[in-house]
Amino acid sequence: MIELRNVSKYYGRERVLSNVSLSVPEGTQLGLIGPGGAGKSLIAKILCGLVKPDEGEVFVNGHNVNRLSAVELVEFRKGVGMLFQNYALFDFMTVEENISFPLVNARKFSDEEIRERVDAILARVDLPTIHKNYPRELSGGMKKRVTFARAVVNTPPVIFYDDPTMGLDPVTSSKIFMMLDEFKRTQNTTSICITHDLTGARDICDRWLLLDHGKVVFSGTTEEIEACETTFVKQFWTGTLDV
Amino acid sequence: MSKVLHAMGDRVLSLLHDLGGLARLLYFMMRGIVHGNFDHVEFWRSMYRVGVKSFGVVAITALMVGGITAIQTAQIIEQFGATSVVGGGTGVATLREIGPILIGLMFAGRVGANNTAELGTMAVTDQIDALRALAINPINYLLGPRFVAIVLMMFCLTAIGDLLAIGAAAGTIYLLINLDPRLFFASFVEMIVFWDFASGMIKAAVFGVAIALVSNYYGINTSGGAVGVGRSVNSAVVASAMSIFVFDYILTAVLP
Repeated sequence: MIELRNVSKYYGRERVLSNVSLSVPEGTQLGLIGPGGAGKSLIAKILCGLVKPDEGEVFVNGHNVNRLSAVELVEFRKGVGMLFQNYALFDFMTVEENISFPLVNARKFSDEEIRERVDAILARVDLPTIHKNYPRELSGGMKKRVTFARAVVNTPPVIFYDDPTMGLDPVTSSKIFMMLDEFKRTQNTTSICITHDLTGARDICDRWLLLDHGKVVFSGTTEEIEACETTFVKQFWTGTLDV
Repeated sequence: MSKVLHAMGDRVLSLLHDLGGLARLLYFMMRGIVHGNFDHVEFWRSMYRVGVKSFGVVAITALMVGGITAIQTAQIIEQFGATSVVGGGTGVATLREIGPILIGLMFAGRVGANNTAELGTMAVTDQIDALRALAINPINYLLGPRFVAIVLMMFCLTAIGDLLAIGAAAGTIYLLINLDPRLFFASFVEMIVFWDFASGMIKAAVFGVAIALVSNYYGINTSGGAVGVGRSVNSAVVASAMSIFVFDYILTAVLP
């Protein structure tokens, strides 16, 4: 279960998030959508405990994220996966080292187990032979898949995907969405997917939250957003001005 | 007038903010190091990158320092026939002052700038946030090991640099005024006391702390993409160089 209650965030005098509330029940996937600069990535960072909100409360898997001590925050993050918009792969590590990093850090897997898990996840993302490559040697689509692999390799119960298909061709985007869907179904994860690619995300998200200038414009199920009569919501959902 | 006061106030606040940030960072790094929360792989990687890869630059700097000091003193020695003090004089100047300062400045330009650029790039490409998201404390994982590696290597390379500089000075003096190196080293041994070497090494360690702390601080706090990385590197190099001179002034006044 992921929940935000009346969360606000200021940068200087500018209010970048304004009383944002959201709720994602266990085992469901929320599509977080909105124009650029609406505050979507900021919400993901707040949920992960990377940024503290100025007002409001944040609950993830029963933890009140704002009130966790530094040590508790470290433990909390071991149960959370995050796929970053800009890949955020460690460029001084190989693909294998990047993916195994959360497993090594968890200190509960043997070397053999780690190797098996890395091999399995790389096969799953269709990149079975790039263990020794460095991120700089990969294309954008390959990096996204490696980032996905790193985010899910330790099967966290909660995952935040920040624009998992940004800048990718339609075929690679479809592959990524299929992987997200498969992962949700097989692992029963609770997740938030920030995306601009509504075509692909429509099939995999159960609920939607539309954000504009840091405010919630719409929150509800796929059926509700399809039936919504608000012009901005309709324009955003259909991708046309002519509504 | 109010604009000038406003700008001055901003500068003072920004300086205090940076000093506070540096103190906080030093505290957290030392806490991690003392408690053993320290990544050894990153430490050895940093030792190699900072030490081995900087050796050439430091060696050339040291050889030039020794040579230049000798050229400057050779004329006076010849003029006044002061051959009995040449080794000692050159040694004191090199060990106490010129060696640590010039090697420190080279270190700030090469190692400090590189460290800031690397950490800054990691910060603007979300790699630092990714570390945090993966439950890793970047201070213990990245900054602490780099801090220790830079301080240790600054200390060791200054010691090696001092030796090279003295050797280069003896060689240059021999080439310029044909003074037997044995006479040079006899004067060196006779005049140099323990504190000449120790004060230079203390300075080197303090300069190392300043370079490591400043480069880590500006690197980890980088924002604003490629422009931000450039700005951070510039700030780190300027702040490191300034702190080298400030600490040199203080230590020269304090140390025996």
